[in-house]
Amino acid sequence: MATSHSKKAAEFLKNPEKITRHDQTFWSVREKRDKMAAMLPEWEDLREHASQIKQHTVTHLADYLEQFANNLEKNGVIVHWAKDAQEFNEIAYGILETHKVKKLVKSKSMLTEECEMNDYLIERGIDVVETDLGERIIQLMNLKPAHIVMPAIHLMRDEVGEMFEEKGISTEEGNHDPTFLTQCARYSLREEFIEAEAGMTGCNFGVAATGDCVICTNEGNADMSTSIPKLHIVSMGIEKVIPDYDALAVFQRLLCRCGTGQPTTTFTSHFRKARPDGEMHVILVDNGRSDMIANDTHWKTLKCIRCGACMNTCPVYRRSMGYSYSYFIPGPIGVNLGMLKDPQKHSGNVSACSLCLSCDHVCPTKVEPGSQIYNWRQELEAFGTENKEKKLMANGMRTVFENYALYDTLLKSSSIVNYVPRKLFETKLNAWGIGHEMMQFPKKPFHQIYKQAMKELKEKK
Amino acid sequence: MKKEDLFAKLRQGTCQQFDMPKEPVKGIVYDDVAKQFIEMSKTVGAKVIEVSPDDDLNETIRAAYPEAKVFASNVEGVKADRNPDAVAEAADLNGTDVGIIKGVFGVAENGCVWIPQTMKERSVCFISEELVILLDRNSLVNNMHEAYKQVEMTEYGYGVFISGPSKTADIEQSLVMGAQAARGVTVILIG
Repeated sequence: MATSHSKKAAEFLKNPEKITRHDQTFWSVREKRDKMAAMLPEWEDLREHASQIKQHTVTHLADYLEQFANNLEKNGVIVHWAKDAQEFNEIAYGILETHKVKKLVKSKSMLTEECEMNDYLIERGIDVVETDLGERIIQLMNLKPAHIVMPAIHLMRDEVGEMFEEKGISTEEGNHDPTFLTQCARYSLREEFIEAEAGMTGCNFGVAATGDCVICTNEGNADMSTSIPKLHIVSMGIEKVIPDYDALAVFQRLLCRCGTGQPTTTFTSHFRKARPDGEMHVILVDNGRSDMIANDTHWKTLKCIRCGACMNTCPVYRRSMGYSYSYFIPGPIGVNLGMLKDPQKHSGNVSACSLCLSCDHVCPTKVEPGSQIYNWRQELEAFGTENKEKKLMANGMRTVFENYALYDTLLKSSSIVNYVPRKLFETKLNAWGIGHEMMQFPKKPFHQIYKQAMKELKEKK
Repeated sequence: MKKEDLFAKLRQGTCQQFDMPKEPVKGIVYDDVAKQFIEMSKTVGAKVIEVSPDDDLNETIRAAYPEAKVFASNVEGVKADRNPDAVAEAADLNGTDVGIIKGVFGVAENGCVWIPQTMKERSVCFISEELVILLDRNSLVNNMHEAYKQVEMTEYGYGVFISGPSKTADIEQSLVMGAQAARGVTVILIG
């Protein structure tokens, strides 16, 4: 009965201290977001605008992509189109191979994660260096991101410190102070930036009217990756394009306030052209997005700007950690993206939702991830991934509720259940019994009490 | 993949089309833009020094960084040891103690300063240990809506909003300055 998500979550819950810390960390980020929202009287207006701009852009995507690509090319940027992950990896490798690149410094991009580009390039002899500190930690530990904005936040300073010692990044044994460790990473990454022949960045927003690739970071790693090496490759999902600077202002204001509770990211970098004597490439990737647009119920998922607010607020994500989800993007938005990608494979995640809809309320572009998960649950039967036991139970309930005589008889005799030994309920057959106290059935059903009360009331009159 | 095939698929697959919102967002406006900008700059970890147009900028910078040895800048009138227009490679600016650059305007709501590339090697904005941004007090705007109406690129085709020093909270959510780029930022507000 347990889904893939609940089984994996149960593993992490064995360490209550870590889970509590995880929960509190992300809740504090959610609280910071609330403070930021409260500082702007136009907050809800901003969200409504963001939602409307996105639904306009996503439903006119071909036009905006055309304009965006034309403007890029006018500025001398080389534009590539990739149908899927394979094509994307081939194009990226092709560019690097032409330039005889041995080392690539990379500013975090969830798209390259989606396409598993790092492994592809490393297998072909290219040294790929993640430069976002969290992402670098994850890479050196051979792990995957557990959150889209704070990928290594589930790790403790000692885990990072010991790994840094092992890799020779830190030489001061036992010093696990975050400031010290960050400085060690700073020196180590400086060398990588200087040695690298190419830099790759993701793209938060592609501005159609001007051909700007806009990248938001707090560390400045996108700028370090592209101001020292002369070759710059941008990897970008096709849904990241927006109309113009007026639209960009709306999203720039929302992204960071929602994601980390800051008023802005430290760096909002605009790339429109290659560096002098350099080259700039933009790879526009479909990888299933054009199919998502054609999904009448779920195309709205493409409005997402990947701020991570839905994860931070989600009571299930906070208490089960990113790795419980089968898709590489966890949390409410990840459940939806996974289902759009491969419902058979990722149906186990749709149970990771209490339908509290907190995510609907914080989402800056009104993707409504929680409401969409509700819809996915109604569709599970079509994929053959519905819960068979629950379905059996539901059919049984229907038989009872549709037959009043049967319902009434069962109700009258329900208190018999009180005498059934507890052990019989706490079995795997009754998932509800695990972790819950069995309810006490009243000796007299409410119907009977009500009828009697009404009768007494009448007689008194 | 041919882009025409993608466009055709997108046009055909779109279920329903929506219009752009008609009314623009009414962004927040502050009674005292400079006060708000200074407050926000401090919040995001930057220092602010207010000077009058007659003050000697070189003296102000040297006084702010008495320990610094290597200065880099191409700003007219600013004394520097290295010039980002003249170095052979971007990496030659590594080891710069203080980089000095010019901002075009500042944004009160979040402490962002718009810095279009006006030097051959923009690495000076990131590789320097400390960054000084020169900014005209009369150039401040309220919010990002106003800001983006003013954004203009130079021939280099690159520009960045910078709000305070490079920072990270990737290890146990502890805020640390100087993750990759400048460890500290001083905005010198002139006017």
